[in-house]
Amino acid sequence: MIRMWKEFSKGLWKELPPFRLMLGLCPTLAVTASANDGLGMGAAVIFVLTLSNVLISLVRKIIPQKVRIACYIAIAATLVVVVELLMQAFAYPLYQSLGIFVPLIVVNCIILGRAEAFAGKNPVHLALVDGLGIGIGYMISLTFLGSLREVLGKGTWFGHPVMWDGFEPFGFMVMAPGAFIALGLIVGAMNFLNMRMAKKKAQGALQEMDGCAACGGCAMATKSREL
Amino acid sequence: MGELVKMVVVLSVICGASGFVLSNLKEYTAPLIEMQVLTYEQKPAIERIFAEMENDPVADRRRFEIPGRDMPVTVFPIMKNGKLAAVALEGFGQGYSGDVSIMVGIDPQRDALIGISPAKMQETPGIGSRIAEPKFTDQFAGARFQDARSKADGGKIDAVSGATVSSGAVFQAVSGVLANYGAIKSDILKTWKSGD
Amino acid sequence: MNYAALFVSAIFVNNIVLAQYLGQCPYVGCSKEKGVAFGMGTAVVFVIFMATGITWLFQTYVLNPFNLGYLQTIAFILVIAALVQFVEMFLKKVIPPLYRSLGIFLPLITTNCAVLGVAVLVQRKEYDLITSLLYALFTSLGFLLALMLMSGIRERLETVRAPRAMRGTPTALIMAGIMSLAFLAFKGMIE
Repeated sequence: MIRMWKEFSKGLWKELPPFRLMLGLCPTLAVTASANDGLGMGAAVIFVLTLSNVLISLVRKIIPQKVRIACYIAIAATLVVVVELLMQAFAYPLYQSLGIFVPLIVVNCIILGRAEAFAGKNPVHLALVDGLGIGIGYMISLTFLGSLREVLGKGTWFGHPVMWDGFEPFGFMVMAPGAFIALGLIVGAMNFLNMRMAKKKAQGALQEMDGCAACGGCAMATKSREL
Repeated sequence: MGELVKMVVVLSVICGASGFVLSNLKEYTAPLIEMQVLTYEQKPAIERIFAEMENDPVADRRRFEIPGRDMPVTVFPIMKNGKLAAVALEGFGQGYSGDVSIMVGIDPQRDALIGISPAKMQETPGIGSRIAEPKFTDQFAGARFQDARSKADGGKIDAVSGATVSSGAVFQAVSGVLANYGAIKSDILKTWKSGD
Repeated sequence: MNYAALFVSAIFVNNIVLAQYLGQCPYVGCSKEKGVAFGMGTAVVFVIFMATGITWLFQTYVLNPFNLGYLQTIAFILVIAALVQFVEMFLKKVIPPLYRSLGIFLPLITTNCAVLGVAVLVQRKEYDLITSLLYALFTSLGFLLALMLMSGIRERLETVRAPRAMRGTPTALIMAGIMSLAFLAFKGMIE
């Protein structure tokens, strides 16, 4: 039980995907012009990640080492098509505003990264909570960034006006430059908080979060295919 | 050798299972998706043309066969006081990037256009997208069939300057709709009772 | 379709990294040194061009005739994975020098969302084969340009004394924001 909680909670801070691990950056920037899109994308990723983790964990013992990445990709892609169909059938406006980033969930490093690093080696119940934890962390991150950009860039939150009368929105926040700068500042703030916490505990150096961790997940997933 | 067989078997089983799940899900979601597309793409366009209507044109839509054509034409009726006040048809034209889809409202009594509104397009924002602006689309309101083409073509509509391709797509879509309408007008009037 | 307009649009106005948010992982991850950035960029140009052509043919002659459009995502990603594997083997056997310079980047590219992204985009924009190939070429050149510019800036940034929390990725992201702001100025050039 304790182990399960540990695997679940790590996704919420220590390994928070877009801000700490620098994974899944494309959708983080692209679909966070509004809080609603961020939430929808996060929900889609939770669905794909949790189910792919569970399925991969279930079949992990019968998959031959050499073709495991191909199997992971096939499973993830199937789930992405499921999401595409369900989203078109039940949430068409969301499907329209997320655009090509719905099919692109399949190449989101988080999915293959978790499959390779966790689900392929651990029993089903742990894979399930791992997927849920990381997925929820991802959804919270996207919704947070989306809220920030929507409130500053349009003066609304989930489409409702929240700022005072006469508030002049910073239009650039909902455009591409705003996405990069907001994410950069959030990552900086996270680093700062972590350094403060590490100092308080007076232990161990802060683990440098480096850009190449970005490729890390993908690299790890794909490189091992050659083995 | 044994490992190779295992690899092929595992991959085929996964792909087979995936194909089975997806084709079933596709069957199940197809009608739902069609309804969602109509509700979120065609319906807003119809609502932009007709301020008031007492029915749901999407729910009441009907398909008509045109002799000698594969694809049936979908007609959306707009009712007032229980009688057919107008119809809306969708037309397509080749735009700057991909198809432009235009909803065209037609008054069957006067044989004139009531208005047009783009249902789906991906024209360049700020330039081609100006075909969606009232300055351009309002010209079609009340236009008689023979006038609903560009001035260069003998009609009465000014194309959007600097967006020749996008404007051309609209003219192509409108003339396609008018041709379809001409072919099925009598069937339409038989299906729904018109006013007067 | 005006190819000159497509060229300007794909490289500058709608730059794949700075305006369309694709290919972020290599953009942030592989832009620390010019050499690495150039290798990665060239490999991406190569793969995007081939992948777009092959997936276009696949969509037109396999998926569309059999009404399997909904399988696009799964079909494309498997085609791309197979293509990358094949290119890797081909280069290793036939052009070893090229393999030595591009080889290490190839496996990373299957999960580069720019590749699948461009393949899906040309389908959504309903381009014909020639336009698709040119769009793929120009877009990936835009990727190479953004990556080279970024690596040039980051090599200089190494010597700057930034606050500790902002070093590395956060600064890189903010630089990307400023570059993207600069690229916004190209918006007025099209049509």
